Amino acid sequence: MEIFVQVLASGLTLGAMYAVSTIGLALVYGALNMLNMAQGALLAFGGYVCFYVMQQLGLPAPVGVLAAMVVGAALGLTIYLLVARPMLASPAFETQIFIATIGIGSVLQSVILQLFGPQPKAQPMTLPGGVSLGGVVVPWQNILILAVAAAMLAGVAWLLGRTRAGLAIRATAQSREAAQLMGIRIGRVYAQVLALSGALAALSGIMVSSLSGLLPTMGADPMLKAFVICVVAGLGNVPGAAIAALLLGILEAVIQYIFGVQYAFAILLALVIGVLIWRPYGLFGKRQVVRL
Amino acid sequence: MTARRRDILLSLGFAALLALVPLVFSTRYIISQITVFFIWGLVVTQWNLVLGVAGIFSLAQMALFAIGAYGTAMLAYYVGLPLLAAMPVAALVTVAASLLIGFACLRLKGAYVALLTLAIAQVIYLIVVNDTACFTNPPSGCLPLFGGVRGFSRFGDLGFRELLGSKFYIGHYYVGLALLLAAQVFCIVLIRGPLSLAFRALRDNPGYAMSRGVGKLRYQLWVFGLSAFFTGLAGAFYAANFGVVGPIVFSVSMLLFLLAMIVVGGMGTVWGPLLGAALLMAADEGLREVGTFREIGLGLVLAVFVILLPRGIAGLARKTEAGGPASRAGTGRKQVADSSDAI
Repeated sequence: MEIFVQVLASGLTLGAMYAVSTIGLALVYGALNMLNMAQGALLAFGGYVCFYVMQQLGLPAPVGVLAAMVVGAALGLTIYLLVARPMLASPAFETQIFIATIGIGSVLQSVILQLFGPQPKAQPMTLPGGVSLGGVVVPWQNILILAVAAAMLAGVAWLLGRTRAGLAIRATAQSREAAQLMGIRIGRVYAQVLALSGALAALSGIMVSSLSGLLPTMGADPMLKAFVICVVAGLGNVPGAAIAALLLGILEAVIQYIFGVQYAFAILLALVIGVLIWRPYGLFGKRQVVRL
Repeated sequence: MTARRRDILLSLGFAALLALVPLVFSTRYIISQITVFFIWGLVVTQWNLVLGVAGIFSLAQMALFAIGAYGTAMLAYYVGLPLLAAMPVAALVTVAASLLIGFACLRLKGAYVALLTLAIAQVIYLIVVNDTACFTNPPSGCLPLFGGVRGFSRFGDLGFRELLGSKFYIGHYYVGLALLLAAQVFCIVLIRGPLSLAFRALRDNPGYAMSRGVGKLRYQLWVFGLSAFFTGLAGAFYAANFGVVGPIVFSVSMLLFLLAMIVVGGMGTVWGPLLGAALLMAADEGLREVGTFREIGLGLVLAVFVILLPRGIAGLARKTEAGGPASRAGTGRKQVADSSDAI
């Protein structure tokens, strides 16, 4: 029983961590058909900004989180203005933006390296203590991560489903040209989504680094996992991505317990490939009919 | 003269010129730098086939390169094969691995392929690095099956040291030149041949191509497997040339460097990748002084080229030469079709 609770708790934490990194990515792909390879660097940037504000400037945690999210949003907006906007009209947008954001991600990561150095740092934004559940102590921090994941998901679902801006985003996702003809300002939609995803990335960076510590390259691993989760769920499906993240987190914890940590990702990936051969459009994705 | 014959003759001409270089400059530094150019040239010409010509967004290319390199090192180290025999075997192993990866990934499309191949490359890297159990215990200390963090060294050489003494690097130079020539001619035959029509059709409009009976999985597996042969051979030659293979071949900065070569030179063109490789290696050499800013520079070059000059330098040459349709920014479809007409 104790082992069960232990594995479940660590699985849920892993899953929640994946979910927070995945939501921003899924949102950008779903709304803009754009794979943002700079997401990992945005994650790291957010974590470092929070660290800087709290450690260096000595301000309280909420200020640090807010500052990180504002900087993340600004970076997302910058990516829109400098990278996405000039190539919006290009027919090869998907490929080009992919390569360009690989470059941007590398630049951001190097900037962090120049500013903060290569040594690992501890994220000051953590909740001390924990709660005892069935004989197992679950740290408050892990519960906070789960709560943040749930709040992010709810927030994004509300935004997409209940607001006018969300309606514009969904229309753009369905068909950029048709949305444009209906008078939706495509540029504004792209700017909004990228800024939002930047802020979400910063928040998830803080959450991830509170468990793993801060490193300039810390974003790469969560981003890769987030990609895998997006692919399993069906690219661009936000609620599906969150469910898949939790499932994969628990699955990974079980695999880690049975086979050992070093093979967890490899086995997980083999399972994912199996799923994709069975359903190439993802677990929750819809089969797309291509019209010629 | 057909474009195919012209390009093959050009390759032979360039190769002949390069063959004269060691007779003129005998500085070891220059010769070994050009040898490194041959290795990256091999990788980018093949990657360009997959990425630019067939439109498969594979990021597993460096993993295939690593399989070639590790395969050679391990065959020589554990089995005791001479490198000359180990290299082609490792290249065939790479082909087998690429077909396996292809079967898993190529059913998917676009972004899915990119993400899955990236994840597979990362898994191979993690398996190599995280394995700490000793497989053998040579005098230099515990060695895991895949070499672990340290990698392999001292697994023999191509035999030029005995043949040429201290001038062994000139032997490596000619081997690299011969491999690159073979790879480039292979690319030209493929890009200028009938097969490339199928690849382009699948890249530009997969739905239409498939409805006309061009099997996507089959053709993409072909180009994936064929290009993996030379990619694996490049890795094998890398192992033979440096005498060391370590996990650095998986590094993101290397991936970035090679991708930048293709993008700067011109994706999907015959000569672009080699041009890009030469330019970026020269620039890298010049920027050696400001080493810490190398990554920033590379990232910026990649982004700026994709934004301002998506068809690379080779695409630019074509635009001024033809003076026409491409620059007229017609409908989207038209531009896609144009970019495939390699210079």
